[in-house]
Amino acid sequence: MSQFKIDLREKNDINVLDLKGYLDAHTAPELEKVLQNLMDVNKFNIIVNCKDLSYISSAGLGVFMAYIEDVRKHKGDIKLTNMSAKVYNVFDLLGFPLLYDITKDETEAIKNFSSLKS
Amino acid sequence: MNKLSDQSSFEQKSFEGAFELRSLFEFSSVVNSSLDLKFILNHFLLTLMGKLVSLRGVVLLDNGSNSFRIENVKGLPLDMVGSTIKIDKIPNRILSANAVDIKKYQWMKYFKSQGIHLFIPLCAQDKIVGITGFAPGILKKKLSKKETTYIKSLANIAASAIEKNLFIGELKQVNRRLDGKVQELNTLFEMSKEFNAVLDPDRLLKLLMFSVMGQIGVNRFAICLEQDGSMNVVASRLNKQFNSELCTYIPSLSAPLLVQDITKKSDAVWRDSLTELGICALIPLRLQNKTKGLLAVGEKMRGEEYSRTDLEFLSSLGNLAVIALENARLFKEAIEKQKMEDELLIAKEIQKGLLPARLPDVPRFDVSATNISSKQVGGDYYDFIQLSSQQYVIAIGDVSGKGTPASLLMANLQATIRALVPIGLSLAELTKRVNDLISDNTSSGRFITFFWGMLHTESRIFKYVNAGHNLPFLIHRDRSITRLDKGGIILGIMKAVVPYQEGEVKLDDGDVLVLFTDGVSEAMNSKGEEFGEDRLEEIIKENLNESAEVILKIIVDAVKEFSINTTQSDDITLVIVKAKSVH
Repeated sequence: MSQFKIDLREKNDINVLDLKGYLDAHTAPELEKVLQNLMDVNKFNIIVNCKDLSYISSAGLGVFMAYIEDVRKHKGDIKLTNMSAKVYNVFDLLGFPLLYDITKDETEAIKNFSSLKS
Repeated sequence: MNKLSDQSSFEQKSFEGAFELRSLFEFSSVVNSSLDLKFILNHFLLTLMGKLVSLRGVVLLDNGSNSFRIENVKGLPLDMVGSTIKIDKIPNRILSANAVDIKKYQWMKYFKSQGIHLFIPLCAQDKIVGITGFAPGILKKKLSKKETTYIKSLANIAASAIEKNLFIGELKQVNRRLDGKVQELNTLFEMSKEFNAVLDPDRLLKLLMFSVMGQIGVNRFAICLEQDGSMNVVASRLNKQFNSELCTYIPSLSAPLLVQDITKKSDAVWRDSLTELGICALIPLRLQNKTKGLLAVGEKMRGEEYSRTDLEFLSSLGNLAVIALENARLFKEAIEKQKMEDELLIAKEIQKGLLPARLPDVPRFDVSATNISSKQVGGDYYDFIQLSSQQYVIAIGDVSGKGTPASLLMANLQATIRALVPIGLSLAELTKRVNDLISDNTSSGRFITFFWGMLHTESRIFKYVNAGHNLPFLIHRDRSITRLDKGGIILGIMKAVVPYQEGEVKLDDGDVLVLFTDGVSEAMNSKGEEFGEDRLEEIIKENLNESAEVILKIIVDAVKEFSINTTQSDDITLVIVKAKSVH
């Protein structure tokens, strides 16, 4: 079965999720669980680092859709960084760059978070 | 001198010729190496304006059906860009608005009012891809033949570059559409694979929701499904409640549609409620040509309209989900059925183990008993316990409920009475103890109707307690009847507050005592009528002279015949005790 792993760390009060492997219909519920846990403890500033994400499917994108509104309602955001061209292509095809802040790296995402505050 | 002047004029001309060729070559390499249409048009306008020493320029591209779109302007209001102009008479050569019959070229009037007079068609392989127009050069001199040729060449080079670019643009679009289609198919493929591997309906719904959200970019939607014959909302991410009245509209839908396309007058009320809920499109979920549910989606987060392709995709995905949900349901049903059958087998085994394998020989009495368990195992019980050579306990009971729980309670009852009987208390006191023990040990709602008695074979006195059980018949030889009704509350409901009463009867020669459960008296025929106690009484009366075994067989046969063509729904249990003639 396809491998998927999520590592969670904190950086400047922002929760960073490192995604590894295949994010598809089979593994989407794992991401859902992690995001739901963050919602439960009121953590709304989230960076999803896609450096080691080798594949994403529509169901995977759907998980982000499920939480983005909630997160933004609480003045937070889900920002996506370090996407490979292949993964970005899927986001792009489904029109996600219009809806999500997709940055080159974490530094840029953190900068966007702090400019949002001020 | 003339010769000399000729010479210099010739040099001048060849110099100009070389310059023009070089500039044409440069222009060609610049526009042909660019993949940016805007840049090409811009560069073309500027080059021509430079050549003509003109201060105003415009370029239009064919937009289909004689309409042309203004793509770029110089020296003119920028808001002209983007507007389209109908051009019914397309120029096929360089034209000056001053040199043509303006009535034939109505469209020129607008440009003339903007100071544009000179029009040059952009021809690529006999196809006009656009038109460019300019204000007259500030030097006002007439274009020479050579200049005209140069301008034509420039326009042709630009036209080929434009066409190539449009073509590439089109290819890119086609490619992207294809990529989008591939992505859709990938999603469908992945979901069908995943749907097949998942049997938990909640997880199935979640997967459906994620892929709808991800693929379509919508996060307002509701899913309704038919469950046990009625349409229910099973998931909703709408701001308002999807009311159950709307559910009644669902079965009439057979194909996906946009809410704005609901035009039938009688459906206007649905359209209004759906619009109020923020729902844009309805996708019926179909299984074997029947609408089994609905996916109702709201506005896309990017604000785009729903395309045919979107609706088709959602329809395919939804139908896959419905098949998977149906499979999951069938699978669960099969498992449950198997589980129930296994359980019933266990219950049957327990019951069989509890009933006496063989009845004791009771001196001076003729006894017979049977239990015919129903498919569900009803929880009936009877027992004969020999206390001494002259004392026998005869019991019958019916545990509420069916299956394993009933048979376990039955086992509990049997163990209790077998443990309590030898301690030598009165039947009434024993019944109270049995009741108190059972009510301590059973969950609420479970109870036992129970009848038992102690038969003294010498005196033929039968002392009994009836705890809510069907009143046994004692039919005397003269056909008179005593119903054994003394006792008290059903076992297991609560601790006995009022003591149980003990009844006492004497069995004389030929008297027949019949204990039975409701499986006998309430056996149903195909018309839904009950066998009834009267019928039972009649049968016993008519066969008083038969042996216990024969009476039993006659009753069982009568019940079976009565309920022919129906399924036996409860256990049938009978105990017959007949006093032998000893005088």
